Amino acid sequence: MRALQIAATGMSAQQMRVDTVANNLANMSTTGYNARRAEFADLHYQQHTRAGTISASDGTLVPTGVQLGLGTRPASVSMQVQQGVLTATGGDLDVAIEGRGWFEVTLPDGRSGYTRDGGLKRTGDGLIVTSDGFEVAPGLTIPTEARQISINAEGEVWAYFSDRVEPERLGQLALASFTNERGLEAIGSNLFVETEASGPALQSVPGEDGMGTLRQGYLEESSVDPVRELTEMIKAQRGYEMNAKVITAADQMMAATAQVR
Amino acid sequence: MDNAGYTTLTRQSGLLREIQVLAHNVANLSTTGFRREGLVFSEFVRQLDREEEPLSMAAANAHQTYLVQGGLTMTSGTFDVAIEGEGFFRVETSEGERLTRAGHFTPNAEGELVTPDGHRVLDLGGAPVFVPADAGQITIARDGTVSADGQPLAQLGLVVPEDPSSLRRASGVLHSVDGETRPIENPVILQGFLEESNVNPISEMARLVAVQRAYESGQKFLDREDERIRNVVQTLGR
Repeated sequence: MRALQIAATGMSAQQMRVDTVANNLANMSTTGYNARRAEFADLHYQQHTRAGTISASDGTLVPTGVQLGLGTRPASVSMQVQQGVLTATGGDLDVAIEGRGWFEVTLPDGRSGYTRDGGLKRTGDGLIVTSDGFEVAPGLTIPTEARQISINAEGEVWAYFSDRVEPERLGQLALASFTNERGLEAIGSNLFVETEASGPALQSVPGEDGMGTLRQGYLEESSVDPVRELTEMIKAQRGYEMNAKVITAADQMMAATAQVR
Repeated sequence: MDNAGYTTLTRQSGLLREIQVLAHNVANLSTTGFRREGLVFSEFVRQLDREEEPLSMAAANAHQTYLVQGGLTMTSGTFDVAIEGEGFFRVETSEGERLTRAGHFTPNAEGELVTPDGHRVLDLGGAPVFVPADAGQITIARDGTVSADGQPLAQLGLVVPEDPSSLRRASGVLHSVDGETRPIENPVILQGFLEESNVNPISEMARLVAVQRAYESGQKFLDREDERIRNVVQTLGR
């Protein structure tokens, strides 16, 4: 009775769909979060009567045969890379990326991490870091006596001082992009690391090589659409129930078999 | 003498296969681009000894893939494409060219458009579709033309098999074709949408109940048949 196992693959697929929805909803207000979507594919097929089998002595061929499928499997849970809504925060180090691109940060183990969370902070020494304290490339330091800082669309950081009229250019924030952004590996805390599938990071600056531009005083909201997630959850729940129903039916058929004398 | 039993047995094993097909359809309720499958039962007549009546048995000997359009879900993904109407995307696998309706594509590290399993998507001419890494806005037009910042890159090819019955299923929502394929006249491709599975849960559930009851009545029949033979043996043995 393979129907039992087949329906079980269906149930675990729907379970995974609910898990994905739960994670998306939990991250409804995570800055720079991209919604994930679970994709499924069918499992292998078992050949009962091979198509093209000779069915009669005059050489008639079976046109379609009998192929029985064995259920479903998860194909991918990938993020939908899309622009989230920008919210004005007024923070001078809140920088949203409008368009493609990722901020590059240095992780404690020396690797590079990538994030779209532009809620940047400064350390006691004035170094620009992420909320977790990781240095943002190219490692700009804001002088303590700076009165105000301004970041333009190209990522240039300018510091204003109370004793001078002309501002000082501190440097330019870098952005990185990938051929396959969906291939990035999420490591939590809004951070991603590069993989074989994503391809190497293409370093550039905002506004060049197809990169987006920066917007100071804004943060990119999560791109989760609650309505879509809720409909997805309803579908997953009903799908789960229907697979459970198949299991019940298969079980009752087995019980009927067992009762035959 | 046991012919009634054997005939019922072919029916029962056919129903068991059918519930497997139903389970497979229900398990793939949310598989993008999945096509519902069905079994076709047919009678085969067995010639017994010359004096007796020929015996007719039921066997599942054909398999059908229903190519009805599935619902479209909006995902807003740049490389999510759904086909409206007939046609299949062309995909290159290690076993040769395959067809699929599942349009959840993504560029790989080399910039080629691939399926979630990593198979390359082919354009109208049979070449992989290449998306440059520094491309800004990617749009896919209704006729399948992929363009970056207004510059056309490639055209996704939609094909149909010359002989619809030559369509075979392979895992990963793929189909293989034995004969030739031809491009379709007016392809309609929608960007930002995915085509859902075309399994209709209501009809599957109704069929499930029908199959289950048919199986039970078959078992009941076998029971009666057993009783009848028992009676015969007892009566004659007296």
